[in-house]
Amino acid sequence: MLRFALTRVAMALPTLLIVAISVFVLIRLIPGDPASLMLGDLATPASIADLRARLGLDQSLPVQFGIWFGNLLRGDLGISINTQQPILPLVLSRFWISAQIVLVAVFLASLVAVPAGVIAAWRQDSQLDLALVALATLLLSIPTFWLGLLLLLFFGLKLGWLPVVGYVSLGDDPWRGALYLIMPILTLFLHEIGVLLRMARASTLEVLRLDYITHARAKGLSEMAVLWRHAFKNAFGPTWTLIGLVLGNLLGGIAVVETVFTIPGLGRLLVDAIFARDYPVIQGCMLLVAFTYVLVNLVIDLCYPIFDPRVTAQ
Amino acid sequence: MNRLLASACLLPLLASPALAQTLTVAVAADVRSINPGVNRDDNTDDFALQIVEGLVGYDEGGIVQPLLASKVETSQDGKTYTFTLREGVKFHNGAELTAADVVWSWNRYMDPKTDWRCLSEFDGRGGLKVEAVEAPDARTVVMKINQPNALFLDSLARTDCAMAGVTHRDSVKADGSWDKPIGTGPFKFGEWKRAEYFTMTAFDGYVSPKNDGKPDGYVGSKRPLLKEVKFLIVKDPATVKAGLTSGAIQLSEVLASDVEEIRKIPSLAVATAPTATRHVLLIQTRDAVTGNLKLRKAIAAALDMEEIVATASNGLGKPNNSPIYTRSAYFGEAQKQGHRYDPAAAKKLLAEAGYKGEKITILANKRPTVPSFPAAVVVQAMLQAAGINAEIEVIDWATQLDRYNKGNYQMQSFSFSARFDPALAFEQFAGPKDKQPRKIWDNPEAQAKIDRLTAIADKAERQKLVDELHKAVIDEVPLIFMYNGVDAIAHSKSLSGFQPWQSKLRMWEVTLAK
Amino acid sequence: MRLPPLNALIGGGLIGTLCVVAAVGAVWTPYDPLRLSFRHKLAPPSQLHWLGTDEFGRDVLSRLMAGAATSVWISILTVTLAVLLGTLIGLFSGYIRGWFDRIVMAFNDALLAFPGILLALGLLAVVGANKYGIILALGIAYAPSVARIVRGTVLSLREKEFIAASRVMGNSEGYTMARHILPNCIAPLTVLATSMFGYVLLAESSLSFLGLGVPPPAPTWGNMLAGSRAYIGQAMWLGIFPGLCISLTLLGINLLGDAVRDRLDPRMRGSR
Repeated sequence: MLRFALTRVAMALPTLLIVAISVFVLIRLIPGDPASLMLGDLATPASIADLRARLGLDQSLPVQFGIWFGNLLRGDLGISINTQQPILPLVLSRFWISAQIVLVAVFLASLVAVPAGVIAAWRQDSQLDLALVALATLLLSIPTFWLGLLLLLFFGLKLGWLPVVGYVSLGDDPWRGALYLIMPILTLFLHEIGVLLRMARASTLEVLRLDYITHARAKGLSEMAVLWRHAFKNAFGPTWTLIGLVLGNLLGGIAVVETVFTIPGLGRLLVDAIFARDYPVIQGCMLLVAFTYVLVNLVIDLCYPIFDPRVTAQ
Repeated sequence: MNRLLASACLLPLLASPALAQTLTVAVAADVRSINPGVNRDDNTDDFALQIVEGLVGYDEGGIVQPLLASKVETSQDGKTYTFTLREGVKFHNGAELTAADVVWSWNRYMDPKTDWRCLSEFDGRGGLKVEAVEAPDARTVVMKINQPNALFLDSLARTDCAMAGVTHRDSVKADGSWDKPIGTGPFKFGEWKRAEYFTMTAFDGYVSPKNDGKPDGYVGSKRPLLKEVKFLIVKDPATVKAGLTSGAIQLSEVLASDVEEIRKIPSLAVATAPTATRHVLLIQTRDAVTGNLKLRKAIAAALDMEEIVATASNGLGKPNNSPIYTRSAYFGEAQKQGHRYDPAAAKKLLAEAGYKGEKITILANKRPTVPSFPAAVVVQAMLQAAGINAEIEVIDWATQLDRYNKGNYQMQSFSFSARFDPALAFEQFAGPKDKQPRKIWDNPEAQAKIDRLTAIADKAERQKLVDELHKAVIDEVPLIFMYNGVDAIAHSKSLSGFQPWQSKLRMWEVTLAK
Repeated sequence: MRLPPLNALIGGGLIGTLCVVAAVGAVWTPYDPLRLSFRHKLAPPSQLHWLGTDEFGRDVLSRLMAGAATSVWISILTVTLAVLLGTLIGLFSGYIRGWFDRIVMAFNDALLAFPGILLALGLLAVVGANKYGIILALGIAYAPSVARIVRGTVLSLREKEFIAASRVMGNSEGYTMARHILPNCIAPLTVLATSMFGYVLLAESSLSFLGLGVPPPAPTWGNMLAGSRAYIGQAMWLGIFPGLCISLTLLGINLLGDAVRDRLDPRMRGSR
C-alpha cells in the first residue's frame, strides 16, 4: 500500500514538470504584455521599456524560465507582477477559500446524486427514471452563471435571506462567513448533481447487467439486498473516480461562481491573472491546481478498494 | 467663515447618525497598490487621489488650477515656476505641510527606485526635464525646467501620475520601503483586504480649498462628510445591480444598458455625465485594403453615427467626430463638423476605390466597461449594408492592446482614455509609425502642428491649430471618433452631493441621510 | 417486433426535431439573424417576433434557428475530435504500456489538470478566435478524459481470456483491438460523449461570460445565452429560449445515447 502510494507520487512528478513547462510556454505564446497592460493607452515606448526591465521581462525566454525554475526548486514561486505579493501565500490562501466551497458542494451532491442514480438505473426506462434523467439534464444544461444569478435574485433580493455581495472569511466570523458561502455552494451542488447522477446511473446499469446480479436474484435475495449489497457498492467505484475528476476540474472551473458571488477564490485569481498576463500568478495557480489534481486522484485511487471489492491496490 | 461655523454647529445635530455610517461603494477591480502613481491603474488613481493631493490639479473643465498651492507664478522666460503653499494644510498624522515636504516628496518620485509611472515625463526623456526643485522658505517651492513648456503644469496634474501627490516622509518605513500613504487629502487610508475591499476614513483636520461647498474637479470644496467609505470589489455587473437593489451597495458605476432599469427602482437614482474618454474606430492606414483613402472615406460615409451612438451608449451619448471632447474649452463650431452619413456616396466611393469584397476584420473586446463590442456589432451591420465585407473578431483586452501597440489590425473598436489638453489629445494617436507602430495617424505636416501646439500658450493661436488638425483628421480618416464616454453612476437616494466627473468617484461633499 | 423503448422514442423525437430546425435554419429564417433594428430593441414575444428581439433588435427566433446549425455543428465536430484523439491515445497507451504509456499518461494528466479557460485562451490565440479555434481548443481540452477512460478499459480487458484467445487464434494486434477491445469502450464513451456534447454547448457561453467572447460571425446558442444575462430583469425571454434549446437538445442526446449504448454494448446483446 505504501509502496503503491510512493510509486504514484513519483509518477506524478513528471506530470508536474510538464505542467510547469507547458504553462510557462503557453502563456508566453498568448499575445499581450503585462507592462503595456499596466500602462494602457498612455504608454510611451520609454515607460514600457522601463517597466519591462523592472519586471525582468526584457530577458530571453530560456533565461526567464531558468530563473523561475531555479527559484521554484528552492520553494520560491516569485511575486505577482500586478500586486507585488509573494505567490505562495497568495495562492494558498485563495485555494483554501475555493476548496471549502468545492468540497462541500461535491460531497453533498454525491450524497444526493449517487443514490438517485442507482434508483434510476434500477427502474430503468420507467417514468421515474425518465424524470430523474430529465432533471439531471436540466441541471447540467443551465450554465452556472445563470443558475447563480437566479439564486442570487431569489434568495438574496426577493426573500432577503442571504447577503447579496461581499465575503467574510470563516476564520473571522464562522456564522456570517457561512452565510456568504451558502449560495455558491448551492449553485455548484445543483450543477454537480446533474453530472454525478448520470454517471452513477450509467455505472449501475453496467453492474446490473453482470452475471452475479442475475445469480444474486436467482438465489432469491430481495431486490433491496441486491441493490445495496451488489449494485450500489460496485457502482460506486467508477463514480468515485469521476468525483476525483470533477474535484480537479472544479478548482479550475470555479471562476464563474466566484465571479457571481464575489468570492476571492483561486478560480477568480487565475482568470484575473490570465487577463492581466500576470505570469508568476498564472504559473503558481496552475502548479497548485495540477498538484491538487494529482493528489486528489491519488487519494481516490487509494480509497478505491474500499468501495470496489473487485479491485485491490496492487 | 459663516459657512464653516454653520456646518460646525449642524454637524453634531444632524450628522451623528450619518457620520457614524459607512458608505459602501462597489468597484470592479481591486487597487493595484497603495503607493500613489507607482503600481497603478485608473481605479488605483481614483483611490489614491482621495488621500493625497498635488500642488496643482484639474478643475471640472480639465483646466489646471492650484490645489496645495494657493498660487503659481511663471517667470518671464517660462522656465521657473514658483508655487506658494496654502496655509494651515496638515498631513493625516497632524504634521503641517511645508515646502520641505514637497521637495522630499518630489525627490522620492524622481528616484528611479521608486518606479514612479511618470518618471520619464520629467527626467528629460520625453523632452521635459525638471532641473531643480528648491524650498527657499517654508511656504515657497520653486521648480526649474529645461525649456518653456505649455504642458508642464498639465503633466503635474495628470491623474495617472497621481498628481505627483505630496506624502509625508513617515509614509515610508525606516528601511526605505513604502508603508502607506500619509497625505493631505480629505480622506485617510483605512484598511486594505486584498481582493475583497479597501476603505478610507474622514480626515477631521482637513482644510478644504474654499469654493462655497461646491466641488470643482480636484480643486473645489472637498470636505469629507462621510465617516468611512468602503470600496467593495464586485466584478459581475449583474451582482452590482442586485447589491444596489438590496441596499448592500449604495453607489456604483453601472452599465449604460442597465440605466433605464435601475431608474425604475424607487430607492435608486442614476447620475450621468459625459467624460473626456473617446470611443473610436481605428483604421490601419498601412493595410493593403484599408490603406486606400477612398475606402476609408466610404467606411465613414456608410456609418450612421446617430444610430451607432444611440445603440452603443443606450441613448446616453451624443455623436462627436472630433478628438476634442465636447466639454473642452477648445470644442467649437469647427469640431461639430464631422462625417456625413451618405449611403449613396459610400457606394460611389467603394466603386472608385476598386473594392472587390475583400474581408475587413474589426477587432473588439468584451470588457463591460467599454462599448467596444456593441459598437462593433452596429458598425459591422452598417458596413455590410453598404456592401463592405466586415467581420468581427472578439479577443481579450490584453491581446487587443498588444495588436494595437504593434499596429497589427485592419480596424479596431477602441477607446482612448481621457486627455484634457488638445495637444495631448492629438499626440495620443499621431506620430511616426516606423518608430512607434501603435501610432494611427502618420502625417509629418500634422506632426509639426502638434509640436507647435505643445509649445505655445496663446489660446487663439492654439484654437486655429486645433481646428486645422480636426479638419485633417476628418479628411484623411485614419480613425473615426464616434462619441465621448458617459459615466453612469447609480446610487441610493439617501445619498446626496455626489457628482460624477471623469469616471472618478469623488467622495468629498457627499452625505448620507438615514 | 417490439416498440423501441421510451428513451429512444423521446430522444429520437427531440434530435429529429433539432435536425429539421437546423436544416431549415441553414437556408431560411423568418428574419435575417444579423439584421439590426433599432426601433425594436428588447421587444417581448409578439405576433411580429414570436420569441421577441434582443438588445440590437435582432429576431430571437431567427437567431435560434440559424444558431442551431452552428451550435450543433461545433458540438459534433468538437466531440468527434475529442473522441478520436482520446481513443487513439488511450488505446495505444493501454495496449503498448511500459514507458510509452507512462510518458503519454504524464502528458495526458498534465492536460487534464489544465483549466479549460487557459487552454482555450492559448489555443485561440494561436489558431485565431473563430469557429475552428473553438473546436480545436475544446477538442484538445476534452480528449484527455476520453483517453483515460479508454486506457482504463483496455487495461482491464487485455488480460481477459477472450483477448488471449483472439491472439492464440493468430489474429493481428490491430484486429484484436478493433474487434474485441474497442466495442467494450463504447458504453462508457457514449456516456462521456453525450455529456461532452452538453459541455461544448455551454463552454462557449462560460468563456463568453468570463470576458473571453469567441463568437463566430453567426449566432450560437452559447453566446446568445451568455449575452442574455445582462437583461435577466428586463427581457427574460432572451435567456429562456436558448437555454430551453440547449436543455432539450441535451435531453435528446442523452436519451438517444442510452438507447444507442443498449444496442451496441456487446454485454447487452441478448439480455433483457
